[in-house]
Parts: sequence; structure tokens; C-alpha cells
Amino acid sequence: MLWYKAWLETRARFLTLLVTVTAVCGFFVYHGLGDMTPNWRLGRDFNRLLFLNQQILVFLWIFGVVLLGMGGIVREKAIGTSSLTLALPVSRTRLMCVRVGIGVVEAIALGLVPWTAVYAISSLEGMPILISQVGLYLLLLIVGGIVYFAAAVLVSSLVSGEYTAPSIAYGAILLPTILSDVYLPLFLNNRRLVTGAFSVDTITFLVSGRLPWLGIAASLSAAGLLLWASITIVQRREF
Amino acid sequence: MTNEPAIITHALAKSYGSAEAVRGLNLSVGRNRITAFLGRNGAGKSTTIKMLLGLIRPSSGEGTVLGKQIADPEENREMRRKVAFVAEDKPLYGYMTVEQIIGFARSFYPDWRTDVERTLLRDYELPARRKVAKLSKGMRTKLALLLAFARRPELLILDEPSEGLDPVGIESLLQSLVSQSADGVAVFFSSHQIAEVERVADHVCILEHGRLRLDAPLDLLRERYRRIDLVFASPPPESEFQIPGVETIRTNGRQISLFVSRNVEAVTERARNLNVSCIEVTPVGLREIFLETVKES
Repeated sequence: MLWYKAWLETRARFLTLLVTVTAVCGFFVYHGLGDMTPNWRLGRDFNRLLFLNQQILVFLWIFGVVLLGMGGIVREKAIGTSSLTLALPVSRTRLMCVRVGIGVVEAIALGLVPWTAVYAISSLEGMPILISQVGLYLLLLIVGGIVYFAAAVLVSSLVSGEYTAPSIAYGAILLPTILSDVYLPLFLNNRRLVTGAFSVDTITFLVSGRLPWLGIAASLSAAGLLLWASITIVQRREF
Repeated sequence: MTNEPAIITHALAKSYGSAEAVRGLNLSVGRNRITAFLGRNGAGKSTTIKMLLGLIRPSSGEGTVLGKQIADPEENREMRRKVAFVAEDKPLYGYMTVEQIIGFARSFYPDWRTDVERTLLRDYELPARRKVAKLSKGMRTKLALLLAFARRPELLILDEPSEGLDPVGIESLLQSLVSQSADGVAVFFSSHQIAEVERVADHVCILEHGRLRLDAPLDLLRERYRRIDLVFASPPPESEFQIPGVETIRTNGRQISLFVSRNVEAVTERARNLNVSCIEVTPVGLREIFLETVKES
């Protein structure tokens, strides 16, 4: 039932984000297709449209997963329910794992549903997308982007403010993104990884199977480290 | 079930920087009885309860609840299966409905008593489909009590349980506490409502500035504590009454008022030897014992 509690806690946020992100992506692709001349549709521009859709989706998705990472037992302390939760016969590790588990599932859905909508709209408009392209974009979004969710969970394990925590989380994500654009080698640049910029063919605008494995490994390791730190902090913290 | 006390602490202490919230607390809360945990605001009651439940770590000392070490996270988790806790502010998840939160709580306790749940749901007139956030303070208190009573605990820890309840609700709560105790549940509750405590408690612990000032059965307190008012033609010095058991001495003109915890006979004998004109020995209530204990410290 902890899953149920975590779901009820994030349900309103998640569904609002899901509808918004799906609507924005669907609207963008639908109008993009409508603006294209029949000749363009046959060329690289359709793939470019999907690539641009990924850029928009990444922006909205990161905004969303940070909000989904908010909450948890530290926030509960601020609103007064932490004593109820911590008096249950469950460990703090399990509380955190369930919360992270629900967050990850919601984060995947927040990428999957908009891409499914885009796939459906394109098919209805007579421009079916290759499933493999959708799969690669989704894969890059999730494996590269989960680190942003992990960062949000870490911030929410340290800061309890309703507005302070997401503000700090956005700052904590934005700063390394800017710094990595300047200082990190391209294969470790997470923005290029998650938007597909690393893997896209600049002529056809098709995402290739040439995945930045080192970058993926670095991103997943960083996410794991941040989540481990969050769990450790919550285990040691006093409520 | 053993005869070992439900709660035992040895020199339990908690400090926040230089502030000592609880100091060297030696507590023993027996099973099959109702123990009241009294103290002024900031005396350390809630801090003690939080340490018992593993919400905060003791700075020093140790304690066990139902035989499990409170400082060991795994043992503490095992212990919480058998303990029901109602916090002072009755925290509940506002985004759940009454039936959702009951279902949620039920899932953690295999011994959940559905009959108690149904009875209390009906008696407390709780609207099953209403969001917890939309319940009144009294309703929230009743719901928190339902969640505690229905889980078949071995130990009930209640922090200000009657807060927010109307007189009918308080009466029902007190009856429930007595009934839980009769069923073998150890009840440990803090309250500022001395009259309620006096009605149901078997044992009283008074905490002041983080120290345990009094720890005794209520019947013993009633039996031993007395107010002795003496009137003299010419009052003797207070030092004449510095006898073991005399807790406080107040002189007001020709009258001396003593608050005595034992040795009443010795005190009256001393007064007679000092040519007292009038002696009045009256029993005292828990309220007076509490006030004198915290005033004294």
C-alpha cells in the first residue's frame, strides 16, 4: 500500500503534467505536419520535426520530473504527517525506494505517452513514424534524463520548502548543464545525450543506433549515486 | 505476552546543541495498565515519545519498547508492528479519503480488527468517502484513534489524545482506553487534562525540564499526599517542619500550609508539640500534586 500512498501523493501533479506535455507535443507535431508541403513530408524535414519535438519534450519532461521528485518524508515533516508515516512498521529505505519507484514509472510514462500521441497523430496524418525512432528517442530521454529526477529527489531529501525545493532543484540542474556545455567533452554532455543531438544524423535527422554508451553509463551512475545519497540522508535524518 | 515492562529507559537523554530536552530519563511503563505522562509544555514528553518510536536518536542512554531496542532501526521497525501511536497534532494524509486511509493502515497490520473498525466508524460517525483534509479537527482526532485502536496493538502511545474532542468524544475515548487496558494493552498517554488523567490512569509519571520528577501509582499518590494547614498563636520558623516527606512549606501570617508526600503523622505530631491551635489535614488531587511537583522543580 505504500505504492498506493506514493501514487495518491503525486497523482494530481503527474496527470496534470502528462496532459500538458502530451497536448504540447501533439499540438506541435500536428501543426508542424499541417504546415509542410507534400514534398517536405517526403524528405528530412519530417524527421527534423520529430527531432525538434524531442527538444521540446526534453525541456518539458525535465520540468516535470523535477516536480515529480518533490515531496517525500522531509516535506511530510514540514506539513506534519512524517510522524504518521515513520510510525508505520516499514523502514525508511523502503519508503524511499517505493517513492523513487513510483517516480521512475511516472517519468517513463511522461515520455512514453507524449511519444505515443505523436506516433498516433503522425499515422493519422499519413506519416507513420518508425517505431525504432520512437524507441530510441524514448530510451535516450529515460536513461539520460533519470539523473534529473534523481537530483530532484536528493534536493527534496535536504530541503522541505514547497517552493524552495523545486527552485533549488532547477538551479542544481541548470548550472551543471551550462557548465557541461562549456567544459565537458561532447560524449559526456548529458544535454546532447538526452535530446538525441549526439545520436542524430545531421543529414537525414534520423536517430542512429550509435549510442553514447559512456555518457549513458555516466548518467545512470550519477543517478544511482544521487539516489543512494538521498536514501542515506533520509536514514540518518531526525524527524 | 511477558511481564516485562512495555517501555524501559535507562539514562535516556536527548540534546539539541546545548539545550537538553531529556536528561537521564529512567522510565518503566508496565503492561496491563494506563500510564499518564504529564509535564508542562516543553518538558520533554514529545521528545521522549519520538525517541521511543525511532523518529529521533537518543544522545545517550538506551531504551526498549516491547523488548526491542529503540536505537536499532530494524528492532524499532519490528516493535512498531505492535505499537499504535497517535501524535499530538493528529497527522493524517489529507489527500486520502477516510476509507482510503483506513485501507492503507489496515494493510500494515495482519491482526487488524475489522469489527473494531466498523464499530468505531459507526460510533464516531465518520464519513467514509470524505477527504481527510475536509474533516473537522474532532473528526480527525476520532479517525486517528480508530486507526490506533483497530490495529490490535500491544502498546498504545497517545500524545494529547483528547485534543479537539467534544465532551461526548472525550467520554468515549476514556472508556476506550479503559477497555483497551482491560484487553491487555499497555496504554501510555500524555495529557494536559488532569481531570481526565485522574479518571483513567493507574500510574502517573511527571516530567519537568527533561527529568522524571514523579513516578508512582495514582492510588499511592492519593493515599500518601496531603495538604496540612496549621494555625498557630505564634508561628514557629519553617525549619521546624523540614521533615522527610514535606515537599513545600508556605507561611501566611499565623497560618502554615504544608504539602506532604509522606510522614503525615510525624508532621502533625511536630505541630502539636509546637502548640498548634488548629490542624486540618486534607487529601489532595492529582492537579495539586502536579502543580506542586512542577512548581517545586
